[in-house]
Amino acid sequence: MTELLGAILPYITTILLFASIYAVFALGLNLEWGFTGLINFGHVAFFAIGAYTTVLLNISGCPLIISVIAGVALAGFFGFLLGIPTLRLREDYLAIVTIGFSEVVRSILLNEEWLTRGPFGVHGFDRPFQDAVPYQHYNTFLLILFVAILAIVYFALERLIQSPWGRVLKSIREDETVPSALGKNVFSYKLQSLIIGSAIAGLAGTMLAFYITYINPCTFKPIETFYAWIIVILGGTASNKGTIVGAIILWAFFSGTKFIDRIVPVPFESHQMGAFRMIVIGLLLMLLMMYKPEGIFGRKEELALSD
Amino acid sequence: MQLIINGLVIGSIIAITAIGLSMIYKTLNFVNFAHGDFVAFAAYIAFFANKELGVHLAVAFLIAILATMLLGVSMEKVVWRPMRRKKASRTALIIISIGFALVLRNTLLFIWGGSTRCYDIPVRRGFDFFGATITHNQVLVIIVAFILMFLLHYLLSRTMIGKAMRALSDNIDLARISGINVDQVILWTWVIGLGLAASGGVLYGLVTAIRPSMGWYLLLPMFAAIILGGIGNPYGTIAGGMVIGLSQELSTAVLPTEYKFAVSFVVMAVMLLIKPEGLFGGAK
Repeated sequence: MTELLGAILPYITTILLFASIYAVFALGLNLEWGFTGLINFGHVAFFAIGAYTTVLLNISGCPLIISVIAGVALAGFFGFLLGIPTLRLREDYLAIVTIGFSEVVRSILLNEEWLTRGPFGVHGFDRPFQDAVPYQHYNTFLLILFVAILAIVYFALERLIQSPWGRVLKSIREDETVPSALGKNVFSYKLQSLIIGSAIAGLAGTMLAFYITYINPCTFKPIETFYAWIIVILGGTASNKGTIVGAIILWAFFSGTKFIDRIVPVPFESHQMGAFRMIVIGLLLMLLMMYKPEGIFGRKEELALSD
Repeated sequence: MQLIINGLVIGSIIAITAIGLSMIYKTLNFVNFAHGDFVAFAAYIAFFANKELGVHLAVAFLIAILATMLLGVSMEKVVWRPMRRKKASRTALIIISIGFALVLRNTLLFIWGGSTRCYDIPVRRGFDFFGATITHNQVLVIIVAFILMFLLHYLLSRTMIGKAMRALSDNIDLARISGINVDQVILWTWVIGLGLAASGGVLYGLVTAIRPSMGWYLLLPMFAAIILGGIGNPYGTIAGGMVIGLSQELSTAVLPTEYKFAVSFVVMAVMLLIKPEGLFGGAK
């Protein structure tokens, strides 16, 4: 029994570590899409900016905590930059520009070797409290740390959206003519939501780097964005609790499909398995939007997904 | 000179593929993020018919166009029309379209793998043209693209269906009360828009390698072209496509080739900032 537990425990730790990172990542998107109605198809760009800024500053000698703050701040700043040309226009423009931005960020990561080390990626950066925690317990420590971060982000977001500020965001999502008729500066609220959401994605990127200890441009493929989308929509748009559950479901599904060939023989080759997984994600996204747009935990009456 | 020629070739491909994106955007009022993957789908169908079934490339071209139209029409009937009936919001449609994009792209990857493919055609040496080399394929691309643009012009300005399509993209409710069968015209918009996208995809396969992500990388230049030309304006889109194609290729003179993609992004962002209605568009 203990043997079995010993074999399963690290495996569950891995799922929970990834789930907590992606839960934070998706909470950022949930603020933008779930509560404000902004379509960000380039969420991964802010994930990457957070991770890269932190580790690059750290390996050039900056203390870890300052590097993390800089990573989060820079991700938020890029949210600000992208919001300026797009948030005054229809919601489609933000989608187009962010999807393009995520590709541009990735090609910069790949090609500016003097700055980002290109395709070789970055490793050898510090991890939080790495000297204080014994190596064999480090992942357990990291899990506790990540769950704590997740909890802080969760409660902070819950407070924010229940504040008057959050109510304005929701009213923008439902019909932005109403808050603007009440004299609210809709553009400024949307911009704030995008900045905070991007900064949270940056924080998640930092967490990812600490866990996997090696990042390269391939870590931040466009598909990461859609992991966040599926998490948010699966769990329930505009439900932070649902987002966390969605993250756990997604990672359980991933590890399930990763090992499925050991249980039942699957006639797929390895590249096919990856493609198959993406087909499932895409189909799920379509079907959920078509038949259950409120997700598992979302409340239908809160979300007016029809004009 | 070489760069200008390359730019014109890529520009005409961007132009004809982007027209469909722009027409659907204007008529159905949402961005179809799967448009680029329809382009790749067509290239793969042409490759399949040409290389694996062994038919002539011209026949493969037609098969690819028909297959893409068929896929588009089925999507309209299974997904878009029911969603319109349900009065789904624009954002819901956008998310469904990106979901479909993932499905389509990964289906191609699943069947044919990630390695690059090319048609079964003889490789011929290009000829000299004012010090630059043009390949036969490039000439073919430009000729076919211009024929298609001319056909589209004829269709939009001279035929009933073309006029109905224009009326619909101007104002769908006004078109409906003047007795136009809206659902049927929307179907035609898909057929023509995706037919153009499919032709662009097959042509693109002539001048570049065929791979599952080819449509994805064409998506951003297409967006840049339609924003430059003004959404829903087919002639503006053609001009926009040419401008984007040329600026992408010319940028390689000063920037590394990897940043071609970034050029259309920058053009687009600047356009949105100063004149979001497009170069030829009036006030919104």
